[in-house]
Amino acid sequence: MDELDLLKKDWQKQESAYPKLTYNELYKMILKKSSSIVKWIFIISILEFVFWLFMAIGLKASGINKDYEGLQSDTGFIILSIISYAILAYFFYRFYMNYKTINTTDNAKTLMENILKTRRTVKQYVGFNLAVLVIGVAYMMPYALNHDESTRALIETAQANGDIFKYYLGVALVTLIALVIAIGILLLFYWLIYGLLLRSLNRNYRELKKLEV
Amino acid sequence: MNKELEHSFVELLEKHQNIVHKVCRLYTNNQDAHNDLFQEITIQLWKAYPKFRGDAKFSTWMYRVGLNTAITLYRKSKRSIATQGFESVSFKIKSEDYDDTEEQQLKLLYKAVHQLNDIEKALVFLYLEDKNYSEISETLGITEVNARVKMNRVKKKLKTILNP
Repeated sequence: MDELDLLKKDWQKQESAYPKLTYNELYKMILKKSSSIVKWIFIISILEFVFWLFMAIGLKASGINKDYEGLQSDTGFIILSIISYAILAYFFYRFYMNYKTINTTDNAKTLMENILKTRRTVKQYVGFNLAVLVIGVAYMMPYALNHDESTRALIETAQANGDIFKYYLGVALVTLIALVIAIGILLLFYWLIYGLLLRSLNRNYRELKKLEV
Repeated sequence: MNKELEHSFVELLEKHQNIVHKVCRLYTNNQDAHNDLFQEITIQLWKAYPKFRGDAKFSTWMYRVGLNTAITLYRKSKRSIATQGFESVSFKIKSEDYDDTEEQQLKLLYKAVHQLNDIEKALVFLYLEDKNYSEISETLGITEVNARVKMNRVKKKLKTILNP
């Protein structure tokens, strides 16, 4: 008899050794809230959607945008906005559909794949927002430089001193560094949250995939 | 959800609760973690119950949801990484059928099983529960051949852990 059969014999002898919870104890349990990773992914994803939505709305409503009123009627800007809202709606739909397909009665591998699919959609959504951020900044920078009183004065001084190239280079560098830092912080944040949340799921999924090779 | 559904579910769960206890026994190593996982599996079973059609056996369905919760949905709390060993919280009853050597060997075996990874534990669990390879492969979503190959590797791994 090999080791596992010895264990099986013992395992099956212990049926009566487990605690017996009463009907009432079990009933109380079904009234409690789940703390599964699916629930957490759902909450975090909703927060992400809300965060980026508020960022966009907040920026529009804030005084900063007063300087860019002209930009609101700019065709390129309008097209960019329409595209970004359409993509946002698409992501909402995809995320919801993915979430709906998560079913605990599927086999382990399918369940893991469906959870990872939801995660992937959110990842793409974050990537999309970061791209919009970069494109938005690149598109708005020249406009901001030309329409803001104080920057215009600075440009004129730089032009008079023959430092205009240096000035633009400086602005581009500062913007780039600020963007890299902002994106870096966001990515680190996501990496930490999802990394911790999905660590064991990823490990188990890899283990199952390895079996197929 | 209506009362009738709640009632039928809790009654079935009460009858088959051992399955949940056994999953918890394999995947946790102290009483608090056991209770946490038991709670989470119960919630997941209850959430999935409206879709349970009765064409499968309730117990078979429980194995699937229970294992899925343990290896996929459950966030391991710090409590599950406690220092207590598996054997010290086992519900083992000292059996008179075993001699000391066998007793000792079993103790080591339980400890060794606890050192396996989550997927290997799932395989061992289904094997201990007398499930055939077709059921094991369906529960985990792998082919029957791969389930057999993996099981053989697990057996070898257990041998190595026991006889380093």
